Amino acid sequence: MRLIEALSILREPCPDGAPGFPVYLGCGFTPLDLKTFLHAHLQRRMKEYRVEVTTGLFGDLTGELERLEARRWAAVAVVVEWSDLDPRLGLRTSGGWRVSALDDIAATAGAQMERLYGALANLGSGVPVALMLPSLPLPPVSYTPRAQAGALEARLRAAVDQLALRAVELPGCRVVSREAVDLLSAPDSRSDPRAELAVGFPYTGGHADVIASLLAALIAPDAPRKGLITDLDDTLWLGIAGESGIDGLAWTLERRAQLHGLYQQLLRSLADAGALLAVASKNDPRVALEALRQPELYCGADVFTSIEASWGPKSESVERILKSWNIGPDAVVFVDDSPMEVAEVQAAFPAMDCRLFPKNDAAAAVRWMAGLRDAFGRASLSEEDRLRAASIRQAAGRPATGAGFLRSLEAVIEFSYRVSPDDGRPLDLINKTNQFNLNGRRIQQSEWRGWMDDPNGVVMVASYRDRFGPLGRILVLVGRRNGQCVDIAYWVLSCRAFSRDIEYACLRQLFERTGAEQFRFAYAGTPRNGPLGDFLNSRLGVSPTAGAVLSRERFFELCPELFHRIETVS
Amino acid sequence: MNDVQSRLLTCFRAVFPKLDDGALAGLSQPAHEGWDSLASVTLVRLIEDEFQVQFDLFDLEELDSFPALETRLRQMTDGQ
Repeated sequence: MRLIEALSILREPCPDGAPGFPVYLGCGFTPLDLKTFLHAHLQRRMKEYRVEVTTGLFGDLTGELERLEARRWAAVAVVVEWSDLDPRLGLRTSGGWRVSALDDIAATAGAQMERLYGALANLGSGVPVALMLPSLPLPPVSYTPRAQAGALEARLRAAVDQLALRAVELPGCRVVSREAVDLLSAPDSRSDPRAELAVGFPYTGGHADVIASLLAALIAPDAPRKGLITDLDDTLWLGIAGESGIDGLAWTLERRAQLHGLYQQLLRSLADAGALLAVASKNDPRVALEALRQPELYCGADVFTSIEASWGPKSESVERILKSWNIGPDAVVFVDDSPMEVAEVQAAFPAMDCRLFPKNDAAAAVRWMAGLRDAFGRASLSEEDRLRAASIRQAAGRPATGAGFLRSLEAVIEFSYRVSPDDGRPLDLINKTNQFNLNGRRIQQSEWRGWMDDPNGVVMVASYRDRFGPLGRILVLVGRRNGQCVDIAYWVLSCRAFSRDIEYACLRQLFERTGAEQFRFAYAGTPRNGPLGDFLNSRLGVSPTAGAVLSRERFFELCPELFHRIETVS
Repeated sequence: MNDVQSRLLTCFRAVFPKLDDGALAGLSQPAHEGWDSLASVTLVRLIEDEFQVQFDLFDLEELDSFPALETRLRQMTDGQ
């Protein structure tokens, strides 16, 4: 992004009534272009918000962070440079590069990093923090030639690595990957000594843009894809199962098919991290299944929630898989080695991320796999991520819904009102659920904490399990008691938990717990929240409009017989 | 309006979006409250990017109007 483009983004009007998203940018130097770029990258990622970026006083990064009131901010971005660790490591001080001073510089920097860690630890539990560690080349402080790492450089880099290691384990703290910075910004084009000396800004425009884009990606990450549908022949393995037979299939280095082995390895890892995997292959179903059952595969039949092998168009297979997953095409990646199949599926599902497997180009394939990993990248893994694929695999073998079926599930719902503000799962559910979502509004951590501190606030998180296994936490409801009414501001239910009458159980639980006579819903239609609108409209007879009201009497009149066992945690 | 003025105006518009082109072409720092030191640096960095030149950033105080910047740009580009 060029500076003029960033300024242009900032001039675009925000939607009327867009909620604010205040971000604090902490850096020890004059922020100049970095602030502009960060603001623009965040605004571009968060079009529904009015992003505001504020900076503190320059020259005392750690002190500013120590004094920062975390609750005022939706997110904090911290950019550390060498001069923040010891001014002698910057270009704007002089007289400190004597050989006798080197040990002291390392010691000062180490102590400063310890202080910085303390400030981050205090912040981390109150607000999401994105941390950028020093990225500029060290000035020629030490006596060693550039080709040789001196003791000072080694000590400084070890201390920064140690800080990174501790910071990634802090709740709410995300550290910009050094590898990502290296990929996007060449080390010799990062520093702008002219600007640093004259106006106190140490970065070139290009490097400031890279740092800002990475920080913005940590503060407002892209939603990870949820599912991947893969081809088999010449994709999951090298060879055509129907022609060469199972013995002719290869995916190992010895058989010159290592790229396919790496792809399998990656798919297995994505599945471990909660991605849904399925197969869409033009094959005889028996042949495909037999090939997938080879125990030597790194990613075999047991990993896939459904295996669609037929001679029909792939888009039809994909459609059946999407239906079984109950997720939209925009949350799914389709992979095939045939440009024609990729084009056919892409035409049927324009929102789907369709990717051609680069089977004949090792360098391109490795880059391609890194891109695939990015598409499914998650800041952290939760128990629910692990449970997702297992529950869908089990669901595939279940009978249709109905009272008899629901009774047979032996379902247990645990409603918890004791929610930790540091627990990221409820926030994730609100911010990533699209279909059963009251209004599509996303919530920031500061607002989330506010609900928990509100004496009239109601924050309910529900977990579900049945005889097929646990689904984990699948529902969040947030509201406020207002006399005999509860105003419901957020209500989301994971699509994995549809068709189990959990939404009825939730409202019944809320009526019983609060004693309210009515609920008022802050409903807003979105392009994707039809399931919630349908529930209000066709199941409860409530017109889905902003401020729609459901009375206790009407609810209990329409609520079907429920078969869940309810547990509550207060 | 010549090419240098037109491109310079693009940079001024980005920093002072509320002013019209007529006002921008005669704009000077002392006469406009919004032209602070931050705006000065932003403007100069935009112009450097647009014209692929480098100013002496210690001279920012002298680059305090549209005409002054245009003159300096002409001196720099004539010398190339």
